[in-house]
Amino acid sequence: MAATLPLVYFLRLIFIQMKTFRIVIAILAFTVATAHAQFIKAELQVNGLTCSLCSKATEKSLRTLPFVGDIKVDLNRNIFLIVFKDNVPVSLDQISKKVENAGFFVNNLKATFNFTNIHVVNNYFSYTGDTYRLVNGDNKDLNGPVALTVVEKGFAPPSVYKKYNGHASVGAPKSGRVYQVAI
Amino acid sequence: MKYLLITICLAALACPVFSQELYINTEPASNMATHSLGVRLENQGYFDPVYKDRNTLEVMYGASKNVMLHGSLYQSDYYQSNQRFEGGSVYFKYRFLSIDSVQKHFRGAFFIKASAISNPLTNQEISLEGDNSGLQSGVVFTKLIHKLALSGSASYLHAFNNTGGYQLPAANADNSIAYTLSAGYLFLPKVYQNYNQVNVNLYAELLGKTNPGYGQSYLDAAPGIQLIFNSLVRVDLSYRTPLYNNMVRLSSNTYLIRLEYNFFNVF
Repeated sequence: MAATLPLVYFLRLIFIQMKTFRIVIAILAFTVATAHAQFIKAELQVNGLTCSLCSKATEKSLRTLPFVGDIKVDLNRNIFLIVFKDNVPVSLDQISKKVENAGFFVNNLKATFNFTNIHVVNNYFSYTGDTYRLVNGDNKDLNGPVALTVVEKGFAPPSVYKKYNGHASVGAPKSGRVYQVAI
Repeated sequence: MKYLLITICLAALACPVFSQELYINTEPASNMATHSLGVRLENQGYFDPVYKDRNTLEVMYGASKNVMLHGSLYQSDYYQSNQRFEGGSVYFKYRFLSIDSVQKHFRGAFFIKASAISNPLTNQEISLEGDNSGLQSGVVFTKLIHKLALSGSASYLHAFNNTGGYQLPAANADNSIAYTLSAGYLFLPKVYQNYNQVNVNLYAELLGKTNPGYGQSYLDAAPGIQLIFNSLVRVDLSYRTPLYNNMVRLSSNTYLIRLEYNFFNVF
């Protein structure tokens, strides 16, 4: 009995070390994942669709996008939970295009953006050459992951995108495509 | 039997909680996904006066979000004692209207079909599905409300002489009007859990044709059931019988069995 005790302690020590190692790895992975500005995930609701064959066609279409990592589907609510790949630039226009190619339309796209190292100036910020305008930003300083809803044609019903239409885009340098997003 | 069918079809069309739009005997206004391919093998036939059947190979392709193409080849023993290749048809559909919101949509499409068939012309019915060389064009509108889908179409058909030297008899109509009304209902699953659940769709379709100026017309009822496996493989079963008929056709009572497989993101 006494002879087995050191062995038990040794095994426990290894176990604790493995646990610590795993935590360190997890922290490292998290740091890598959040160190740069990037879209992390998105909640996409698709219009006009009620059959699983149609949902599957839509998912297969979305999976051809290089920046899509994984997709989980709620077939009853027609919601696609997309996890984006790290380090691959995300194009929201491509998501809308793939849904329309499958024969449907985006009803709602809520994409989570990591604002670490991103400066929001006059409610504008840039990402991969494109400009994003926060329609209800109130010049707040944003940090960490924030969910952004795209409020324009191709991403929202007319009642939503018409509300934000015609807002003058003033100040702040703009480049590329300008997306209208709400927090 | 006939009144039972009428009752079922009317109940299906009237019932506000009835189906899906992957109709068995008609095409909806919606298209397949872009760059997806569907392959169908179909057998239809009749038992009276003798058993005869037709086999169809159909390939469908989503060319863009609004354009869909079909190509079909036909073979049957309808006009002789042995199975023989009859010809083919091509079909083009353009979706021009989409009013969508969550779990419902209203769509409109225009379609055109052309066929080249080599068979004797013994019927008054003009049918581009293996019997006549001709042209068909029309419109279709489909309304989907959650588990119920309703669809209606109207089209114009024009028959030519068949290939192989078969002349259209002088006494036959060469123009026809076709109309359809379809209802489909997603019966199972009651609640979706995953793509692998078997979907069961119930259909009730009314299929009519009339040859203007000739007093020839029919209206068929076609109830059907559809099973979808793995959200990829579709099996259709349908039986078609006339509610009204004074048009010379091969047989008015026909069955249909179809197997369809879908490929996504091909070329």
